[in-house]
Amino acid sequence: MEPDGARKPRSDSGALWFVVSVACSLGGVWLANLTFRRYQNPPPGGWYLVLLGVALIFVAGYAAWRLARAGIYSWLLPLAAFCLLRVEPGRAGDVRTWRLEWGVMGLAWTLAAVLVFARLLRRSDELEKRLHLEGAFFGLCVGLVGSVVYALFENRLPELRGQWVAVVLLLSWWVGYLATARRYW
Amino acid sequence: MKNRLRVLRAEREWSQADLADRLSVSRQTVNSIENERYDPSLPLAFAIAKLFQVRIEDVFAPDVEPPPLDLTSST
Repeated sequence: MEPDGARKPRSDSGALWFVVSVACSLGGVWLANLTFRRYQNPPPGGWYLVLLGVALIFVAGYAAWRLARAGIYSWLLPLAAFCLLRVEPGRAGDVRTWRLEWGVMGLAWTLAAVLVFARLLRRSDELEKRLHLEGAFFGLCVGLVGSVVYALFENRLPELRGQWVAVVLLLSWWVGYLATARRYW
Repeated sequence: MKNRLRVLRAEREWSQADLADRLSVSRQTVNSIENERYDPSLPLAFAIAKLFQVRIEDVFAPDVEPPPLDLTSST
């Protein structure tokens, strides 16, 4: 009979896949930027760097898939927050004329991510659902209070970007989930 | 709520993971129930009782016994 404590805690393996996904995503995008920006004067072994960057991005996606496959849905929340931070609409830059297309693509990806996460939650057990429900409620409260505070001091605070609100909501949902989980685990 | 889940599981030499697989829940849920940190829903409680082939009262017991009904007092 397998000892009850023999299996690695889910939170540890979730943290590992999260770090792998973030690190590979950062590395892959950095390599892709490095090589594409210098396409007229590519660095030595430029194409290998491109392939390496693409491979790292695939590994990042694989790590995210492993999180979902293992049912460690809680780590998908900070991962989504990280992705939102990395994808800034203002970075459209020279493709300003394609702003609407970029926006629609971003909205489509966001809706797809929400649907996938909702489907994952539907497959989770009752305790996991309760943890996410309380976590989401905590995130909502943080968002409400933050919105009111921002409105009160709007003149003195920097301009608020849309994805920052989403990032704060996701991260506070995750914090609420972790705080609630401590009561039950 | 108190429960005898750990005892029943040990009698059958099941690990928490084994029990979780049979109940289609996560191992953390089984652990939380055994440590009396989480009270399962009614369907899950019935599923547990059915799995061990015992009555639900033989698995779960309230923390505080309700006072006995006094049927003799006249109103």
